[in-house]
Amino acid sequence: MTEKLITDIGGDSAGVVPQEGRDQLFWEKQMIATFNLLQVKGIVVTDEFRRTVEEMSAEYYADSTFYGRRLDGMVQLLIEKGVLDADGFDKRAEKILTAGTRDHV
Amino acid sequence: MSNDEHNHDHDNHATTREDDDLELTEGEARFLALKGLLIEQGVMTADEIRARMEFNERGSPHQAARMIARAWIDPAYKERMLDDTKAAAAELGIEATEAALVTIENTPERHNMVVCTLCSCYPRSLLGEPPAFYVSKAYRSRAVREPRKVLREFGVEIPETVDIAVHDSNADLRYVIMPMRPAGTEGLSEDDLAALITRDSVVGCALPVEPA
Amino acid sequence: MALTSARKKFLLLEPVTMSDQIAAYRVGDRVRILDIGKPGHVRTPTYVRHKTGTIERFCGMFENPENKAYGRWGLPSIPLYRVQFRQHDIWPDYDGTPGDVLEIEIYDHWLALAEEEA
Repeated sequence: MTEKLITDIGGDSAGVVPQEGRDQLFWEKQMIATFNLLQVKGIVVTDEFRRTVEEMSAEYYADSTFYGRRLDGMVQLLIEKGVLDADGFDKRAEKILTAGTRDHV
Repeated sequence: MSNDEHNHDHDNHATTREDDDLELTEGEARFLALKGLLIEQGVMTADEIRARMEFNERGSPHQAARMIARAWIDPAYKERMLDDTKAAAAELGIEATEAALVTIENTPERHNMVVCTLCSCYPRSLLGEPPAFYVSKAYRSRAVREPRKVLREFGVEIPETVDIAVHDSNADLRYVIMPMRPAGTEGLSEDDLAALITRDSVVGCALPVEPA
Repeated sequence: MALTSARKKFLLLEPVTMSDQIAAYRVGDRVRILDIGKPGHVRTPTYVRHKTGTIERFCGMFENPENKAYGRWGLPSIPLYRVQFRQHDIWPDYDGTPGDVLEIEIYDHWLALAEEEA
């Protein structure tokens, strides 16, 4: 028996299905568009992204959200591919968060 | 929210303000860092991101609703939609980016519903971004094992005389459920019919709206 | 005349698959989902492994996600089938009608013809 991937949850017991939703935030729309562009440009393949998420820890996955996984998986994959420098990325994100503003691009 | 910037050239400014009343979260900060680096490194431009967002906005439940309403009215179109959903979308000017789309018809004998247990595969060109319930771990876990119970949570009771088919969208196909046309809609126009077809009814978690 | 399947595979007109089965399932064939023990990225959820169902349709030839996930070529394409199961055959304690079914897409190399017990 192969080990079960963290994403392989079909048939597991779980709570009530959430009926409440919310509209996508602007940055989430931008992020999906960014992800799509990486696909179209051939930099990221959907199955590579899925694999990157599957390689995350079970603890991370349990607490993660759809958009959170999309962002973290994309970043992880771009670091793996050498497109992104992990250290430079972390520093920049920290700086933006500290500044608390959106005018960075 | 009032918007007095209709004449402004850079519509991105107007949209950016959508979230300006929200505090910057760590997730958004990380995205802004990613976006900044990708642009600086010449991987993509801000204009490309903007254009792709606009393209993505075209995908909405209204697209699937238009197709299904047409199929309810035009049996030949319905045949074509069941036979080749992508080509049927193109007939209505809808550009489907999915590799393969399949339409599955609800019948008096069988109700259909869709889930992606492994991630959140979804026909975005025809339905837009997936709703919160569709991407939730609860739905992904339970829809394959206890579909009737899950549907009851949506307020949909499928009688024992009707079988349920659950479609796990786990690989390359993307699914559109064609609900049955409600009774009492004989005189309705195509647009009025389309208004009865909700996003959730195309996923199979709801029935079309009953006409007023 | 017609090429043998082995010849077609050699010429890459037909996919080379990991199972010994040749990609020739027909609608209505009874099939068993294998657990091929492959680590890493796969698209066959555990809940259908070792279960027996029926070929509902041939979906076409698709690039292999198990290779694409690691930056490798997805080619040659492999056959993808839609398999239908009775829900009661997947979940022994299933709460629903005998006619309730589940359908899922399975790549050729995860399938084997089922040996039906009479």
